[in-house]
Amino acid sequence: MIEQYLLAALAGVVATAILALLLHKLHGARTLARLQSEMNDRIKTLMETNAQQSGLIDQGEQKIQQLESSIAQLDDDLARQLKIAGEDRAALAAAVEDKENLLDQARRIAGEASRLKSLAATFERWHEQMISLMTQNQDMHAKNHELSSIVKHVVIVSLNASIEAARAGNAGRGFAVVAGEVRALAARSEELSRSYRDSLHRNDLTTTATFQDIQAGGKMITASLGSVEVLADQFQVRLH
Amino acid sequence: MISSNAQTSIEGILLKAARSRLPQQPDDACEIVPLAHAYDSARPEANVIILTISSILFRLLLVFHFDDDASTREYFSKKTGDVPLQDMLLEICNLCCGAVNQDLLPYFQDLGMSTPYVLSARCLPYLEGLKPDYLSSYAITINGSVKLAATVCVCAHAPIDFVADMTAVEETSGELELF
Repeated sequence: MIEQYLLAALAGVVATAILALLLHKLHGARTLARLQSEMNDRIKTLMETNAQQSGLIDQGEQKIQQLESSIAQLDDDLARQLKIAGEDRAALAAAVEDKENLLDQARRIAGEASRLKSLAATFERWHEQMISLMTQNQDMHAKNHELSSIVKHVVIVSLNASIEAARAGNAGRGFAVVAGEVRALAARSEELSRSYRDSLHRNDLTTTATFQDIQAGGKMITASLGSVEVLADQFQVRLH
Repeated sequence: MISSNAQTSIEGILLKAARSRLPQQPDDACEIVPLAHAYDSARPEANVIILTISSILFRLLLVFHFDDDASTREYFSKKTGDVPLQDMLLEICNLCCGAVNQDLLPYFQDLGMSTPYVLSARCLPYLEGLKPDYLSSYAITINGSVKLAATVCVCAHAPIDFVADMTAVEETSGELELF
């Protein structure tokens, strides 16, 4: 009986052990299946991530290519700009040189205009010479006036001589001829003196008109040179 | 060579200058009449004052005739003070010529003016010797008693044609040009 019990117990133990083993295997299989599933999920996730990373890498490479293309274009642009800047620098240097030349010319024009303004002194000198000439003319007027007075006196004297000759009768006939000749000479002298006076007046007017023209023309030239000087100065200021 | 417009303009400018500069008081009457003949033909012993305005195209001579009589002396001596009458007259003529010069400037860029000089009236017939293109004389009477005259003589080297704008307001005071 005991044996039966023992056998039964043993059989129960074995059955339990087998059951436990089966359960253990079943559990292990389930765990393995779960782990495999998780692994598959992870692999799938990793593959997806990998695919995304590959896409990003492709995009990055495209961007790198674009950037390299932009850099190359910028390099070209820079080279072109440097070339233009070089040309501009050369043009600027030429313009600065031109400006310096113009400045120098403006300075010289202003200087020349300023120097030529001293011509006014020359014109004034000519005008002073007119005064001197006119003084001489006045002196000739006075002398001619004196000559005219003498001639008038001679006419009177010759008239008196004629009267005295007439009184002397036949004895004075020769003297009357001389007195007549003297009167004729006095009349010619008087005419000559009048003509000389007229010439002096003509000379006065011509001399005055000419020298006033010179004086006024001198002032006109001086004023014009002043305008040239002002314009040259203004040009100089604008160039500075 | 001087157009009728230019002659009229020169005459207008001269008469305007004479009216503004010769009367010593602004309200003094000033009557100006053109003369057919030279003013001084009957006054050979008189003196005249002559001035010249020069330009590139022409020269213009202005001759002022002052009678040496009591009314002239009295009128122009009022303001002379210690200045001799002749110097005063020279200054007045200079102002008058300056006014003409000023009014010609808008039409002729380059102008210059001489200083005045005194000549015998016997010289005036020889103005014709300068071969003027325009010669005209005017009798001027101030306050009905002071008689004087002005002659303008223009010798042109090129055709002159301009129309002066005489509508501008007259200035009552002029700049004194020292000589």
